This record gives sequence, structure tokens and C-alpha cells, in this order.
Amino acid sequence: MSTITALGLALLGLLLLVGGKQGLANFLALVINAVVMILAVVLMAGGFNPIAVAVVAGLFVLAAVIFLSTKDASVAGAAFVASLAVMGLVLAVVVTAVILSHTAGFGQEDSEELEGFSLYIGISFQSLLIATGLLSTLGAIAEAAVAVAAGMTELGAAATLAARRRMAGAIIGTGLNTLFFGFFGGFAGLFVWFAQLHYPFWEILNNQIFAGELIQVLFAVIAVTLTVPITMWVVLTRAKGGRPS
Amino acid sequence: MWRKWRYLLPVLVFALGFGLARLDAGLYRQPIAQVTAVRVSHTAPQKDNLGNNDRLTTQKVSARLLNTARRGELIHFTNVYSYSGAMDSRLSQGSQVFVSRTSGGYQLHDRKRDGVIIGLFGFAVALLILVMRRRFVLSAVSILANVGLLLVALHVEIQNHQTLAWWLFTGLAVLFTAVTTVLVVGFNRQAAVAGLATIGATAAGVALGYLIFTLTGYKNLHLESVKYVTQAPQLLFYVQIIIGALGAVFDECTDITAAVSELAAGGAARFRAGMAIGRNIMGPLIAVLFMIFIADTFTESVLWLRNGNSISQTVIWVMGLGFAQSLVSAFGIVLAVPLTAALAAWAAPKEVVA
Repeated sequence: MSTITALGLALLGLLLLVGGKQGLANFLALVINAVVMILAVVLMAGGFNPIAVAVVAGLFVLAAVIFLSTKDASVAGAAFVASLAVMGLVLAVVVTAVILSHTAGFGQEDSEELEGFSLYIGISFQSLLIATGLLSTLGAIAEAAVAVAAGMTELGAAATLAARRRMAGAIIGTGLNTLFFGFFGGFAGLFVWFAQLHYPFWEILNNQIFAGELIQVLFAVIAVTLTVPITMWVVLTRAKGGRPS
Repeated sequence: MWRKWRYLLPVLVFALGFGLARLDAGLYRQPIAQVTAVRVSHTAPQKDNLGNNDRLTTQKVSARLLNTARRGELIHFTNVYSYSGAMDSRLSQGSQVFVSRTSGGYQLHDRKRDGVIIGLFGFAVALLILVMRRRFVLSAVSILANVGLLLVALHVEIQNHQTLAWWLFTGLAVLFTAVTTVLVVGFNRQAAVAGLATIGATAAGVALGYLIFTLTGYKNLHLESVKYVTQAPQLLFYVQIIIGALGAVFDECTDITAAVSELAAGGAARFRAGMAIGRNIMGPLIAVLFMIFIADTFTESVLWLRNGNSISQTVIWVMGLGFAQSLVSAFGIVLAVPLTAALAAWAAPKEVVA
């Protein structure tokens, strides 16, 4: 058995043990996400516009994560609507920053690894990076949206502004930690590399790979921060509309 | 007025940061030039032996030096860019670039990117302050402390030529958890529960991952493709998993302990409540890390596919490590639920007595 299959089966076992039916739904969401992501890569390589593919794939990912991890339909509904709005805003930020930063493609540090590859592949690496930036934030958007919508329902309609602010602060605070470690876990190798080569600070700041990774982190931070007030607004507006919340 | 327009503040900060960085060439020792005119001299289709169609364009660029002793001097160089832009990019009037001196004049070295970084950083901070208000200070201190720890660890690791890497980074993970817990939760019993649960669950998750890796003999897992590693890729792979999972597990453990500590009930009821809360948040947390790790492989995956590799080859070689990392992190996230619930339940009655 290949290692990934074994890891997947072990995770399924753990999820069933700890979460029962909910665990099964979580596993299903993960499988859907994996299939959607592989499909997205294949479509992008097949010549479809990477940004359009990312937006469509993003809808599936958000729906899978939100609806398969929440039993309460009104919480899931509000979280989904809010995360769609956030996805639109984040796309605008990502497009602007990626175009201005010129971090698409590969850096000089990658050249050894790229030996033997044809780099003129006829697909815009800038669009690919925009797709990457958007998709990498979606898990964090879904997580924060579900947390806020569930929290708002728990607090009830009578909650004070102060209570809501406390909740917002707590959700963003822990979200920042998740992102900080999540991303920095991936860069451990890069940091060691930079430190070994004694790159001066200004060179790191302008380095294509470092700048590229740092703006990815910032995209996710911005996404989570936008998600919290927007989800609150969606929940409150839906409640005002007379729908059960 | 302020209430209505305050959400434009981040955009303003971005523009300010980006604009100021265009004037900072004086701070650099490497020559920087601003493009004043571009003329396309040549454009040609480019076809590789795999059937990929691209287009190469040659630009004749005039630029003015913004710093060094030759400041103000007009220089000329050529730039070739492709449609796909893997390692090149199109210059336009106003672009700022690093140039290097060659015998015949100057040539393009790299793009200047500090403006976007500073601008986007300012955008994020302004937005965080607007939404989090005073709480932002605490989060900022905690993240700065962690960045400080990371820098110290890197320094020590370079000094020791990587002999201590494993112990250094596991020690770092424990320190990260301790610092973050104390700053976010406080210095109390609840913090002890959250901290212990985080370390325990992450360690248990990685241990289980290690067990499965070893039992399956790393089949179809190519640790040699860990990026930017000169030596010991296996070690760095584990370090990446541990640090990557830590934040999500910590997030979960603090959520569970905070909710459970508000209950007046006894141990068993607390355990059940902890499990119920954990079940609801574990799925989205797994998704957060999954999307981060997998999206990061997109550029390289597309390159592989366009270079004639099969889908399965690409998934195994390029996306494989991302999948493995997300799955092992997920072990930690799932194991954290019963561990935190049990620890919180065990710690609870004593708190009532005390």
C-alpha cells in the first residue's frame, strides 16, 4: 500500500472514532477537496483560464467544507453566503498584489530544480499564482465563517456589541496563529536556506520566493480578517429579514 | 463620517506604503533604475518539442538610475519576456528594477518588490486594527515573539551547522506553544491544559505519521523533492509538519478549553461537552491546512503536466508531500479533541475545590 493511502485510511479510522457520523462527513469533505484540487490543476494545465478554474473550484471547496462540517442549516447558509462575498473581495486583493509584485513563476533559487524542464509552457504563471493565492485562503475563510456564524447563533439576537467584538477578536486571534504556523511550517526549509547563504535583509525583502510566500500569508490574514465582520453582517441582515436564524 | 469611510483606511495605507517605497532607492547600495521608455524590438513565437506554444518578446529599455554615484544617468538594456513568464516579466514605463554593471553597461538583475510587501503588510495591519481593536496588540506581541524565537533558532542552527536541528526545532515547537499560550490564554490552569494538549496532540499525530511512513517504507513518497533543502530532507519534512500543525492544533485546544471551563458541570459532562465542540471545529481546521499545503503546489504541478508527465506522476511527485503533510497534521487535529476534552475534564473538579 502506498504511504498516502495508508495515511488516508488511518485518518478515516481516527475521524470515525472521534467524530462518528460527523467524522465521516469531514472525511468526505477532505476527499471532495482533494479531487477538486487535482481536477483544477489538470484543467489549468489543459489550457483553461486558471483564475476562472480557481473561482469555480473555490465554490466547490467552500460548499464542501461548510455544508459537510455544520449540521445547523442556518449557520451553514450564512457562513456560505458570507464566504462567497469574502472570496470576491479577496480575489480583488490577490489580483492587485500579484500583478504589482511580479512574484509569479520561479525564482533564481529554483533554477537547479528546473533543469531539464521546458519553461515556455504557454500558460500564464501570473494567472496560476492568482489561482494559488485565492485557493490557499479558502480553508481559512470557511473556518472563520463557520466559527462566526455558529458563535453569533449561540450569542443570540440580544448580544451586545461588546460581546460580539470579544468574539471577533478571539476568532481572528486564534486564526492568525493557525495561519502563522501553517505557512511558516512550509517555509522552514526556505528560512534555513536564506540563513545559510547569509542573505542581507533588503535582498530577502525583494527576493522573489520570499516576497511570494509572504504575500500568500498576508492574503490569508486579510481573508480571515474580512470574513469576521462580513459574516456578522450577513447573520444580522438575515435575522432582520425575518428568516429564522 | 469616520464610521462610514473607515474601511477605506487599509486601501489608503496600502497606497501610502507602495508610494513611499518607490522613493526609497537611496537606502539601497545595489543600483536601482526606473524605466523611462520601452520599445518592442522583436517578437517571435516559441514552440518547444512538447508542443507548447509560447511567445517571446524582446524589449529595448531605457531607464534612469535612482541611486549610487551615477544617479540620474540614463542607461539602456534589453529585456526578453515570455507570455508564460516563468522566470521573466514584462517591463513597462515606471517599473523599478535592480540592475547590475557589466563590462558593456548595465543589465537587468531583478524586480524591486519591497513596495507591494510593505503596502500589503500595512493593509493587513490596518484592517486587523479596525476589526480587532485593542485585542490586536496581544496578537501582534504573540506573533512578534514567535518570529523572534524563530530567528534565534535559525541563528543557533547555522552556528551549529545543523547538528542539533531536530532537537532545536522540537524545542522551538514547545517554546512556541508555551509563549503563545501564556500570551493568548494567560498564566493559569486553563493555559496549562491548552498548552499540554497542543504539545501532546501534535507529538502523537507526528508519531502516528512516522509509524505509518516507516511501516509503508515511504512508498510513493519522495522526500528528496522537499524544496530548498541542501541536506537532511527527511528531518526538515518532519520539522515542517510539526510547525505547520502546531497553530491549528493550538487553535482547537484553546477553543475547547475556553468553552469547557465556562461549564459548571462535573468531569464526565465536561468531557462530553469538549468532544462535542471539538467535533464541530476539526473539519474546517483540517481544510485550512489542506488548502494552504495543496494550493502551494499548483505552479509546479502545471509545469510538470505541461512537460509531458502523467497526472499520477505529478500527483505523487509534486502534490504528494502536500497531501502527506495535510494528512499527518489532520492526525494531530483529530487527536487533539479527545486529549483536550480529557485533560479539561480531569483538571476541572480541582479548580472548583481550590
